[in-house]
Amino acid sequence: MRAKRTITVLGPALLAGGWIVAQGMSAYAQGNASGPGSGVRRNPSQSPAALPRPKTAIPQTYSAAQVQTGELRFAAQCGFCHGRDAAGGESGPDLTRSELVAQDRRGDKIKHLLRTGRVDAGMPAFDLSDAEMDSIGAFIHAQMEKLAALSGGRRSVQPADLATGNAADGRAYFNGAGGCSGCHSATGDLAGIATRYRGLALLQRMLYPGGRPAPKPPKAIVTLASGQTVVAPLDAQDEFTVTVLDPSGARQTYQRDAVNVKIENPISAHFAQLGKYSDSAMHNVFAYLDTLK
Amino acid sequence: MKKHARKWLSLVTSAGFLSAAAAQRADPQNLLHPPADAWLTYHGEYDGQRHSQLIGITPENVGSLQQVWHFQTDQNQAIKASPILVDGILYLTTPDNLWAIDAHTGKQLWHYRHPLNNAFHIGHRGAAVYKDTVYLTTPDCHLIAFNRLDGTIKWDVVIANSDNGYWSSNAPLVVRNHVLVGVSGDFDNVPGQLKSIDAETGKAQWVFYSTPPAGAKESANGGATGGQMWTTGTYDPELNLVFVGTGNPTPVLNGSVRPGNNPWTCSIVALNPDTGRLVWGFQVSPHDTHDWDANEVPVLADAEFGGQPRKLLMQASRNGYFFVLDRTNGKSLLTAPFATANWAKGIDSLGRPIPDPAKEPTRDGVLVAPNEAGATNFRPPSLDRKTGFLIVNAQDGYGIYFFKSEHGDYGWAGADYNVAGKSFLRAIDYRTGKIAWEHAIGDGAGTAGVLTTESGLTISGDNRVSVMALRTRDGATLWHHAIGKVQNAPITYQLDGKQYLVVGGGESLYAFALP
Repeated sequence: MRAKRTITVLGPALLAGGWIVAQGMSAYAQGNASGPGSGVRRNPSQSPAALPRPKTAIPQTYSAAQVQTGELRFAAQCGFCHGRDAAGGESGPDLTRSELVAQDRRGDKIKHLLRTGRVDAGMPAFDLSDAEMDSIGAFIHAQMEKLAALSGGRRSVQPADLATGNAADGRAYFNGAGGCSGCHSATGDLAGIATRYRGLALLQRMLYPGGRPAPKPPKAIVTLASGQTVVAPLDAQDEFTVTVLDPSGARQTYQRDAVNVKIENPISAHFAQLGKYSDSAMHNVFAYLDTLK
Repeated sequence: MKKHARKWLSLVTSAGFLSAAAAQRADPQNLLHPPADAWLTYHGEYDGQRHSQLIGITPENVGSLQQVWHFQTDQNQAIKASPILVDGILYLTTPDNLWAIDAHTGKQLWHYRHPLNNAFHIGHRGAAVYKDTVYLTTPDCHLIAFNRLDGTIKWDVVIANSDNGYWSSNAPLVVRNHVLVGVSGDFDNVPGQLKSIDAETGKAQWVFYSTPPAGAKESANGGATGGQMWTTGTYDPELNLVFVGTGNPTPVLNGSVRPGNNPWTCSIVALNPDTGRLVWGFQVSPHDTHDWDANEVPVLADAEFGGQPRKLLMQASRNGYFFVLDRTNGKSLLTAPFATANWAKGIDSLGRPIPDPAKEPTRDGVLVAPNEAGATNFRPPSLDRKTGFLIVNAQDGYGIYFFKSEHGDYGWAGADYNVAGKSFLRAIDYRTGKIAWEHAIGDGAGTAGVLTTESGLTISGDNRVSVMALRTRDGATLWHHAIGKVQNAPITYQLDGKQYLVVGGGESLYAFALP
């Protein structure tokens, strides 16, 4: 209340639109923090989910207290990427639609993942106590159940949302201007692609192949000082080293200044294509791929 | 090294004596003109150039740099902070944590761990010092003042209500007796606020709101909230102006419920540090719908531009454009893209990119460059005056952006996904906006800030595990060392006559020097 009384809003003419609270406010008078949005409630989802959610394989129950603790820990540790409600966020996927969560039994999979992280996908390992991880697992399971009971995901992208393109135009682009047919074939590698990937997953795979199963890795051709040539799948590279997988699956790292390296990466054509797509061409090619069932 | 450690311990025991002498070190005068044996503020100097005058480490000898010590935080949070150095003590932060470290040995002097709290723990940018006090912001929006020699708490104040969706990762900016602290908050529709706290007492002095506070009748900004000021600003003592970048509006991706340009979100604002009064604002992303905070460092330089001496401000912004302004009045001098950007139809008469409505998030998705990670982000660039290059970690990246009415009008209010990106260290010639050179650092968004030195070195990191020294003139690699992913900008200082390079890799801090 005190902060409200001391707020002096000066008009845009005077301040070019800035807002100031006058001096004299106590450091503890935090009434200002209840913003105009704080009374606004999130809109519940209104769209029917077009995709079946994975179902929890093993029904499990948790105490309300544990779920509540988990909600707070989840918000602090996981919410930035996965959304505070676990339904997907800035960079992390919707965990309430996660197959791993569906298969998890009282944290056996979730806790393992928390401990190890998924460093390649940008998820760090978490140094949390067992009790903290249990509560986080409880919250994710509770959210999975809760959102499954609702009729859709608030931040979700449904296959129906993406169905705006023209498949015939997409096919023409695929075989013509897009140059996709230089590497791909509707009856070869892409046959049945729309049954393997649906909706957003198909669009993402189309724009830049990643995720699981992992696309074929680039090919590294390493010529050693001895003249011997090693051709192997690339595992990792930077300006200084190249790491390949040898036939046994072991990693072999070479210093770049000691060898000659050539990398063949067909996926780089996808990156170049990102700069060429119009939004309608993107939606058309998607519509075409969506017919390959 | 051992000798220094002993000397230091004996000094700590006579802390009364030391504090009297040390009080001179981070005083307002030294903050204006930092000595070579200190790194007193987040940027090193108020101008944000992050350029050191030290010339001990050179392009010729950098190849023989050796690790002197490393300090493990024993935390799972990567170091995203820029350390502070005062009187041979480094201050380093991660969320909830502040360490005082002996800069000679890398040994911990004291450590503060904040109580467990449920605010966001996304990262932490660093501490601030003033006289014998070191300041820490916490995820749950406390500002805590410590005796910098022994870590005892002097006072602890709340700067925002974290229950309403605020959190803080901010390295405060100290100007005279003002500690300027910002907060974050993208998941709730809360106003953007920067607060000035009395450096001695912890009393609030003023609050600047970038979007209207609760109860304010204000229609000019279209009803937007957000515009958080979560990075450290810069300061011009002659103009007595602080320059701060403001974040994206909320709701983040749903622009339809906040019509118009939404000032002062995604802007650079010039404030009087004594009153918090806005002197001018320049909006780098009018009506942002892509989460492109304009929180990147507003770098200051007094230099010739277009044939006449100017007081310049420049920012390589997350939206992909490089801006040069006259900082006396906020008027545009130059706007040019420095990374792939497909969201603007052109540049308006005021130097602002004109958003293309066709690239606002849609139900079926639009392909947008840059992606949410941005053409650059909070990691600071560096300005080398000799070459005229602002060297910045830049990404050419694409993302897909979705919004449908079901996503609502609260918080994120939409969905977006990064598709792919490639990143580079790019040297932008500030006089022309042209890229003088670029140095590839890997796929995805870069994570390292940049330091330049007067000897012609550019220090930064690649996207995997290496800290690197490049030649500022042409970007050629001169030295590298694997330390883990570099996630903020290196610093450098002179200690006992020797130049040190200090940089975080992963969860550890490393010090390098010539043998």
